Amino acid sequence: MEYKPTILSGGESRSDDQIMAAHERRHVRRVSGPGLPGSDGQGEPLVIMELLQRLRVKDVMRDHDIISVVRTDTMHFAQNLMKRNHISGVPVVEGKRLFGIVSINDIIMALEGGWIGDPCQKHMATNLVVLEEDMPLAFALKYFENYIFGRFPVLNKERDLVGIVSQRDVTRVLMRELTNELARLEGGAPTPGAAGEQPKSEGALPYYSMRQFVIVRNDLQNAGKAANEIKKMLGEAGVEKKIIRRIAVAAYELEINICIHSLGGSITFILDGHKATVIAKDKGPGIKDVEWALRDGTSTANDWIRSMGFGAGMGLSNSKRVADFFDIKSTVPTGTTVLCEFNLPEKA
Amino acid sequence: MNINDIVKTLDGTLVAGGESDRTVGTVVANDLMSDVLLNDGDDILLLTSLASDQAIRTANIVGAMCVVVHNAKPLPQTMCQVADTLGIPLVSSPLSKYESCVRIHDFLKAESGS
Repeated sequence: MEYKPTILSGGESRSDDQIMAAHERRHVRRVSGPGLPGSDGQGEPLVIMELLQRLRVKDVMRDHDIISVVRTDTMHFAQNLMKRNHISGVPVVEGKRLFGIVSINDIIMALEGGWIGDPCQKHMATNLVVLEEDMPLAFALKYFENYIFGRFPVLNKERDLVGIVSQRDVTRVLMRELTNELARLEGGAPTPGAAGEQPKSEGALPYYSMRQFVIVRNDLQNAGKAANEIKKMLGEAGVEKKIIRRIAVAAYELEINICIHSLGGSITFILDGHKATVIAKDKGPGIKDVEWALRDGTSTANDWIRSMGFGAGMGLSNSKRVADFFDIKSTVPTGTTVLCEFNLPEKA
Repeated sequence: MNINDIVKTLDGTLVAGGESDRTVGTVVANDLMSDVLLNDGDDILLLTSLASDQAIRTANIVGAMCVVVHNAKPLPQTMCQVADTLGIPLVSSPLSKYESCVRIHDFLKAESGS
């Protein structure tokens, strides 16, 4: 799953939708994703990965007393504001609309260039990188890693400025939630507080949740548990039954495939409100001919596997049949990754 | 056709999963679980010879209303436990799968009055 960074750009004449500063674009690198299954999530403890998916940007952002300037304020005024509040940048805001940002670099350049008395709108940055309030915290961390900025403005769905998030905010909330999670795992403590709860209003899907299941080679006794758990999660989230069935079928087929054909691996399930994703990743030995493996009825299963009711050679094709988007990548002997995505219609 | 009808028609015994008031919507007779997963029908009655946990887990994935295992095969304890956990009625029948198919067909035909 790839989340494109929100980079808005344009001068003041086009600045109605604009937000925070990406004025040093040469430093901006591409954001590749949340550090989860698509990248290198396998080495991270599951409890942290789940936490980074469960918490959202709005759980960590500062949403009150946002220090800002208006477009007609001078650069000198912005400089004093930053100095008094020990901050390195201020958003330029009119009402709830974000027009740009003035950073410490802009101030230095204004002092050197002699335009410190000019209005902010003349020198503010208008190429803006922003976060959205419903993004998982994992995305925010990736932004901090990939961009040079120490803080990002946060927008809601209406594109209004609703908060600012800094690395310090992230650290503070993460420490608190990790402490809660640790207490819970050790027993007795309540589940995470309000910041960690899913937006589970009546009949609504949770926006973001994620689970990862380890699948052990040849452990048919337990094979299918992940798919059944995914089915349960979807039911609790209020997803339509027919869609649940399709997702569960894909998860089940892929889980069995990992169990009987590979050296072991994992099933990762991500629910992001409008899409459900199942990622099956194994540790080898890989598939020599993927096209052949995708054909109905082709299988390398042995008699033992067949005696257990599997090995009909329908697993991959079944998964492909039920998914809205299907992708498979396999390398011998490294392993195979299968991606199945399902669109979730908005509930009425 | 409900659980009681299934048990009576197939000379069977309800061994796990508990009672249910669901009725048969689709009948699937198969031992290959991938084939079962291909079926899009609702309220599936699964007739199988596969006496394993996977028969129950597969049934749960497709939302089956009952699983019948044939030829009086011994049912593993874990299979019964999974059926209880997932709430899927599990019936053991001494009949062959073919005989079960015939009897179910006759029952449903009589039930629909055709």
